[in-house]
Amino acid sequence: MRQHRKTAFLFLAPFLTVFVAFYLTPVIYAIYLSLFIRKRVGIGPAKEVLGGMANYVRAVQDGDFLNGLKNMFVFGVVQVPVMLGLAIVLALLLAESRGIFMKVCRTTFFMPYGIPSAIGALIWGYLYSPNLSPFNQVLGALHGGAIEFLSPGVVLFSIANIVTWTWTGYNMITLFAALQNIPTELYEAARVDGATHWDIVRSIKIPLLMPTLKLLFIFSVIGTSQLFTEAFVLRPLGYVADNITPNLYLYLTAARDANYSYAGALAILLALLIFVISGPFLRRISSS
Amino acid sequence: MNHLIICRLFSRFCPRQVGVAFLLGALVGLPLVSISAQEAFKEPDFSKFPAESGPITLEVWSWVSGLDKAAKLFEQAYPDIKVHVNNVGGGPAEYQKLQTAIKAGSGGPDVAQIEYDFLPSFIVTDGLADLSKSGANDLKAYFVPWTWGQVSPDGKAVYGIPQDTGPMALLYNKKTFDQYGLTVPKTWEEFAQQAEKLAQASNGKVKMTNFFPTHAPWFISLAWASGAELFKTEGDSWVQTLNHPACEKVLTYWDGLIKKKLVSTIPGFSAEFYNGIGSGQIASSIEAAWGPGVLAASLNDKTSGEWLVTPLPQWAKDQPFRSGNWGGSCNVVLKQSKHLKAAFLFSVWLNTAKGPVMSNWNSYGIFPASLAGLASPDLHQPDKNPSKFCGGQNVGEVYSDASKAVNVDFAWAPWFAFVNDNYNKQIEALIGGKATPKQALDAWQDESLKNAKGDGYEVKVK
Repeated sequence: MRQHRKTAFLFLAPFLTVFVAFYLTPVIYAIYLSLFIRKRVGIGPAKEVLGGMANYVRAVQDGDFLNGLKNMFVFGVVQVPVMLGLAIVLALLLAESRGIFMKVCRTTFFMPYGIPSAIGALIWGYLYSPNLSPFNQVLGALHGGAIEFLSPGVVLFSIANIVTWTWTGYNMITLFAALQNIPTELYEAARVDGATHWDIVRSIKIPLLMPTLKLLFIFSVIGTSQLFTEAFVLRPLGYVADNITPNLYLYLTAARDANYSYAGALAILLALLIFVISGPFLRRISSS
Repeated sequence: MNHLIICRLFSRFCPRQVGVAFLLGALVGLPLVSISAQEAFKEPDFSKFPAESGPITLEVWSWVSGLDKAAKLFEQAYPDIKVHVNNVGGGPAEYQKLQTAIKAGSGGPDVAQIEYDFLPSFIVTDGLADLSKSGANDLKAYFVPWTWGQVSPDGKAVYGIPQDTGPMALLYNKKTFDQYGLTVPKTWEEFAQQAEKLAQASNGKVKMTNFFPTHAPWFISLAWASGAELFKTEGDSWVQTLNHPACEKVLTYWDGLIKKKLVSTIPGFSAEFYNGIGSGQIASSIEAAWGPGVLAASLNDKTSGEWLVTPLPQWAKDQPFRSGNWGGSCNVVLKQSKHLKAAFLFSVWLNTAKGPVMSNWNSYGIFPASLAGLASPDLHQPDKNPSKFCGGQNVGEVYSDASKAVNVDFAWAPWFAFVNDNYNKQIEALIGGKATPKQALDAWQDESLKNAKGDGYEVKVK
């Protein structure tokens, strides 16, 4: 038994080393940092002194941070269902098609996922720029209008569009793979019973896709909470609010304002929030 | 996510501001230097600043395009030292990485480029080497005096070696001006009249100039030229006045031009801005001394020769001539550098030796903070940029005059990085019609104040 435990540790060691070094340690360091506040006397450099929960108290009263969280929820409520809905439709259609057409579609839809998100966002940034945007050139030719993709009310949805473009293909492929695993006997039996295409989709395919769909949903929710790259890349192209996503806000608090303690507190709070949101879902998936 | 890749890409899209302001000392220092400059470019005795022995590689962070050419000259003069120039992004993109490296205590460069307006935010981190310990104070006489005030706020410790300045002037496209029969404006009133005339003549297609909605230092330079002072220290506390009456005067004026659609509002250093400038849709641009050089480089010499620089328009014809300053930067040495002496030598040499000073001027319009550089006849080489971009004009002369008209007592605060970004938010509200100029400036003042206080600074309001 003891021998077995040793062997287990040996096999786990590579993972544990990386996990401790790059996951656990930074989290503990962030908690440690978050306990400090700055004291300044006069105009000289600041001193970091223990401040207890002061940073956490500041965070829950920080309107900018709370609005960043609100943006995250709006994004999640709109973008995640749209993306997963699209992915289901595409996966179902793909499963019905055959041959070269299927292969071409599968690759094309999946391709955006292979493009680094910074590059994708740069290309979209160009497509969004007010005067150079080909969308606006087409719109202008049609009826003289233009969409300000980067204006404050729209930019969150412009980012949602980039994320949807990137991730729909990935979700589609996962669902498509899950569809291939459904035994064809079920379809045959259903057809013998007189089921239509739509009946099969509704009563067989979708129910059997549910476990996969739940998992993709969790991943998407977690992904939403980590939104950063797209907003960061769009920033030099116009005004993108500091708190458009919570992650961008805490990055700027750390790297721009050099306030690592406060950023640490924000990061811990954000992590706790995601844990609370996704925890029950994960538990339900593992139990079912 | 690979930040290096993002930043390289970034820097393609937004090379970014360089330069800063000017001086008082030019008044005193220039005549003396210009006499001697006829014979030679007065350089310090670099042998007083020996580097560590042995092969050394210096890591240098800078967004100055063409700095690698200057670095090669250094490697020829000092074969034991290799210089690796790394463009990790322009301005704030670099600063964010630099702050992180300083906090981490490692991973930073030996030498970095920092604009004067952002330098205080690095001084308070205690991460920059005090160069006075290496003898930097002996070099004071080689630089435009006010730049020394920027790198040595208390007059003792020295945190950087000045590289360049960015006094402001008006860069206009002569071809476009001629085509629409415009005259060169001397006052802001004339500027607005010509803008109206251009809008009528071109059916609103050509804009008089561009208002930079995401570059606070550009706006600040114009407020600076109008008498604004934004930051001061008083005893043990700071004073911040972002809603200075001069700021309101300037913003109200531009708000009028924006509302009448006489000027464009495109973010600077974007593909869209360069397209507007290069395709004749924007007739002029209010640019710092480094501006024509950056435009020449970024436009790849498109529209080269069509531009001319003229002094910044004034509020009244009979007032004493005034200008402001945008950008300008210095080279700092990080405390964490393992080759402090070599890093210091490189920073001094880069900004006082003739070879690199002229190379940087010609490749990226780096308008020297070095007095010998300013006085050098080589500043005017009609067949090289930035003069070539301006039809062979003596660009340096116009900007030298501008630099003499800049108020030299202009200070910055350590929380400027926040102020800089918050400006974008307020201007977005202004352009979107959600705030008046006064409301926008008051919000800028209040939100910046709140952030500074939250960060432990003692700030007073006048």
